[in-house]
Amino acid sequence: METQNFEEKLLKMTKPEVNQLKHQDMLADAITNAKDKSVVSWWWLSVPLFIIAMLTMKSAFMPQTTLISNIHELKSKQPVSSLLFFLIVPICIIIFNTWSIRKVWSLSDNPKDSNSIQSLWVNGLMIIFSIIVLIIYSL
Amino acid sequence: MTEIELLNNIKNNPAVFSELFKLYYKPIFGYILRRTGDFDDTADIAADTFLKAFRNINNFTYKGISIKVWLYRIATNEVNLYVRQRKKYNSIYERLNIADNDLFSSYLHEDKKDLEAELQKHEQYLIVVRELKTLPLKYQEVISLRYFEGKENKEIVEILNINEGTLKSLLSRGLEKLRKKCNQI
Repeated sequence: METQNFEEKLLKMTKPEVNQLKHQDMLADAITNAKDKSVVSWWWLSVPLFIIAMLTMKSAFMPQTTLISNIHELKSKQPVSSLLFFLIVPICIIIFNTWSIRKVWSLSDNPKDSNSIQSLWVNGLMIIFSIIVLIIYSL
Repeated sequence: MTEIELLNNIKNNPAVFSELFKLYYKPIFGYILRRTGDFDDTADIAADTFLKAFRNINNFTYKGISIKVWLYRIATNEVNLYVRQRKKYNSIYERLNIADNDLFSSYLHEDKKDLEAELQKHEQYLIVVRELKTLPLKYQEVISLRYFEGKENKEIVEILNINEGTLKSLLSRGLEKLRKKCNQI
């Protein structure tokens, strides 16, 4: 009974109303002109992929070397850059893309439809490539 | 123009999103304001809600729910995120490229003055919302949508993506908890 009365009170209680918002039009313009400032791009991943492609070619044209030995050589000669491009960048890309997939998934009303899948496949592909780079680096 | 036509127009020309903005910004802003009881928080959350909607409108297909319900869903998630990560939240206006910052700030300031005066007119509501904010988010969501927004169960179920049984049980338990808290005052 008490809860029922309280429920009625809540329904009848006056609530604040929004009648006019002067900032609305300017905000609408700013949002429709907003560019997606994503730091996750193919450019970051292209560096380790390019190096791997070079090392693969080197191992193909120089029979005494293999991709793994070339990677080991790179690790010893360029410890900082190899760590950055083969470990830090792929890990960051995996984190950002996973986060992006999660966001699209939660905002999409039907994640299985073609539009959602279209925007998710690039994220998925980048995660796969990042994992490949990590595996090659850890060999 | 129907919602489907509007959606198709936005997909062809993103600038048409401003039409959607005109239709729903005020109700969504009102919903967030009634949920938080604070203008500054509301302005940030509402802007973030529409920015997310703008960036994800292409992922929306008119199958299960309407755009309005979808916007309420994003707004609800944004309010929850705001409550959970309050300290990490940066003002969205710093990230947007606003044509005339001074003019925008003066408009925002005027809106703040008007709405803070409007909030003060509803003393009883402010007490209830203050107590509501001490309850877990799951109760805040359902009570705010049902009693502040006057939404029917069917629409709340769509917004929160829960089943009707869960909604009824959350409403009943939440209402009882809120009543006890309000009675203590």
